[in-house]
Amino acid sequence: MPLDLTLFGIQMPTLLPIFVVCSVMQILLDRVMSDAGIYQHVWHPGLFRTAVFVCLFTLPCLFIYR
Amino acid sequence: MAVNSLGMGGAIPWKRTFHEWLSLDAPVLIYMVKVVIAALMALWMAMTLNMPDPRTAIFTVFIVMQPQSGLVFAKSYYRVLGTLAGVIVSLVIVGMFSQDPVWFITFFALWIGFATAAGFKYRNFQFYGFVLAGYTLCIVALPVIETPLDVFDIAVSRFSEVIVGILCATVVSDVLFPRRLLDALITSEQERFHNVLATLSDLDSLFTPLDDTNPTVGRFSNGVVGLNAAQINSSFERGTNHKEQQHYQYLNHEYMNLSTTYHSLKSILSVINEHDKKEVIETLKQLYAPIATILTIPAHTLLTPEDLSMILSKLLEVKHSLSLRYEQEWETVEDDREFIAATYLMNRLLDEVHNHCATYLSLLKHRLSGRGSRTFGQMVRFSTHTDNVLVALAALRGSGVLLLTMLFWMGSGWPYATLTITMAVVIGLLLGTLPSPLDGVKNFFKGAIIALCVAALYDFYLIPAYASDMVTLGLLLAPTLAFIGWMTTRPALPIFSFGFVFMFMSQCALDPFYKIEPTKFLESSLAALIGIAFGGLAYILVNFWSCSLTQQRVAKILRRQIVTVCEGTLKVERSALESTGRDLVQQFSTQGRLNMRSSRLVFEWLLSTLEIGRAILAIRRSTQGLSIPHPTITMVLDSLKHYFHTPTAVDKEAVLLLLHQSFEELRTFPRPSEKGEAKRLKLIGVELALIHTVIFNSTTFPLLLEDSCR
Repeated sequence: MPLDLTLFGIQMPTLLPIFVVCSVMQILLDRVMSDAGIYQHVWHPGLFRTAVFVCLFTLPCLFIYR
Repeated sequence: MAVNSLGMGGAIPWKRTFHEWLSLDAPVLIYMVKVVIAALMALWMAMTLNMPDPRTAIFTVFIVMQPQSGLVFAKSYYRVLGTLAGVIVSLVIVGMFSQDPVWFITFFALWIGFATAAGFKYRNFQFYGFVLAGYTLCIVALPVIETPLDVFDIAVSRFSEVIVGILCATVVSDVLFPRRLLDALITSEQERFHNVLATLSDLDSLFTPLDDTNPTVGRFSNGVVGLNAAQINSSFERGTNHKEQQHYQYLNHEYMNLSTTYHSLKSILSVINEHDKKEVIETLKQLYAPIATILTIPAHTLLTPEDLSMILSKLLEVKHSLSLRYEQEWETVEDDREFIAATYLMNRLLDEVHNHCATYLSLLKHRLSGRGSRTFGQMVRFSTHTDNVLVALAALRGSGVLLLTMLFWMGSGWPYATLTITMAVVIGLLLGTLPSPLDGVKNFFKGAIIALCVAALYDFYLIPAYASDMVTLGLLLAPTLAFIGWMTTRPALPIFSFGFVFMFMSQCALDPFYKIEPTKFLESSLAALIGIAFGGLAYILVNFWSCSLTQQRVAKILRRQIVTVCEGTLKVERSALESTGRDLVQQFSTQGRLNMRSSRLVFEWLLSTLEIGRAILAIRRSTQGLSIPHPTITMVLDSLKHYFHTPTAVDKEAVLLLLHQSFEELRTFPRPSEKGEAKRLKLIGVELALIHTVIFNSTTFPLLLEDSCR
């Protein structure tokens, strides 16, 4: 994947749209997990959530910077 | 928690001390550490990413940081939205009008006026979004007025700095020792519930006549609006589910109903007391005594679900026996309207207490095992009401102060006057919703002055002498950042610390490349201080809001509510009626400079209005189901509407007469054979009696017969 993208005539790093997409995914996933009661079985929900987001975000990033 | 630590402390004093430290001081310490870490992280990230103004990032951290995680999420969310709106508007305004000062200033003033008004209208942190929308326009559009082509760069960099700050703040507050808002919510809900039980079980205060030592309102009045806000913000905390939120909504709603009923009952009882009807009072006391004994619980005990279920089953028993008694008494003493109204209210109170306890029990169960016993039907909404005159006044003030400072800028031609404009706008936006904005401005000013001294120390001594890289800079900044964090937790210093943060962050030399510029420092500080003074001036000039004027407005709005209830749709929920009224009165008592006595008076007005409004709705609903039309009931409603539209003494007599007539007519009316019809007629009769008693006896009524402002 390219390092830069051009959207509507504005050049931006590919990381930015990835970040936005990941945030939306994270919000949805978070809602599902909290309704399913997963967070009650997790020791530190905040840390868990952050870790999930890091996984979500770094996975596509690996493809860019490989 | 406090109860536990008190209970087990006796033998080992240091253990109690430790518990106290853990519950009172440790959170503050943890919060300070969190603030410092988040702020330094934001600074480091902004500098590493080569952002032109890292101060915005670190400033954002301080703005959104709150001890509870839910508050941080809520604030961040609205901050992002507000900044986005501000950035877009500044791109549009600079793009379209950068060569045309008249249009530029006009649209600028319109936007600021809009942001001020909207910030005033919306509660919680939505208010904050609008503040940021106005502020962002100032910091993006004003610096580039000479070089409009730079606006896009500035807009993008401000926005990314804000995002960096928000990310740091939210991650740190969620990962490091998170403190849930919901936990605080359950504590205050607990407190409120115990308060309710204590008030309801207090037989004496209910039955003694009202005077200054025994006000109708008392401790059983506030806390609805605040708890609602906390509940809304806690929805930003992930991991809280929908069901728990619903519990809180219902508890709030039931509490509102309960306090209205309690107040009405108490004022009717005091009327009966005044008329010296000893035996009626005795009968009522006998009726109420079992309820009071059930609700009496020893002080400083926490209710377990088992206790509560026992209370509930007892309440149910009493409810059955009481409604039987109530029927009997109603047959015998038919002509005593006050008695009918009082027993009816008592019955309703019992119903509502029962519901409230059931919901609370369900909440406890839900928290313990995830299985709440109650299922909820529709959503209860907390509706708000804001007076348009207050909003218009706020908009006028916002635009006015902007135009004034713009004049100052154009007149002086001083390049730093843009800072004056920014500061004045911030003051107008931020402090408008405070109870006393002028004191707020003074505190803000003091904070700004002290921040200037500290910033000067950093700029001209500490940073050039000791800071050589990121680590040393962080070490140097840490004490001040921790100090700011400590200040924000003090309830006495919020505005002071705001002023401190604002000034420190705008003057401290945290640029990517350090430069010594004493002239710039002095000039920009002077400009900012002038801006604060202008902002304060606006509060002095645009503030012709007096106590009696406020009372008039509130009375008018409350009366209008009854008029709309008389003629509007029947779909009005009782919860909407209650929450709108309460929100309105809350706002007026913080905005309208009411003294203690008159704000109590206004609250009593509100409760009588709510009672009458609810009764009218109930009557209208019941008349719809009647098979034979009763013209007198329609006449009563019409005259009530007329009376509340333009109240006069003559109208009052007419209303009372009509109420009396229709009540008598209903009583002598042959009892219909159909059961539903009979029940409806009886209900209408009771509600008419209630309205009659309230209007006839009420000394406190939104009719402005008394003046408590002096």
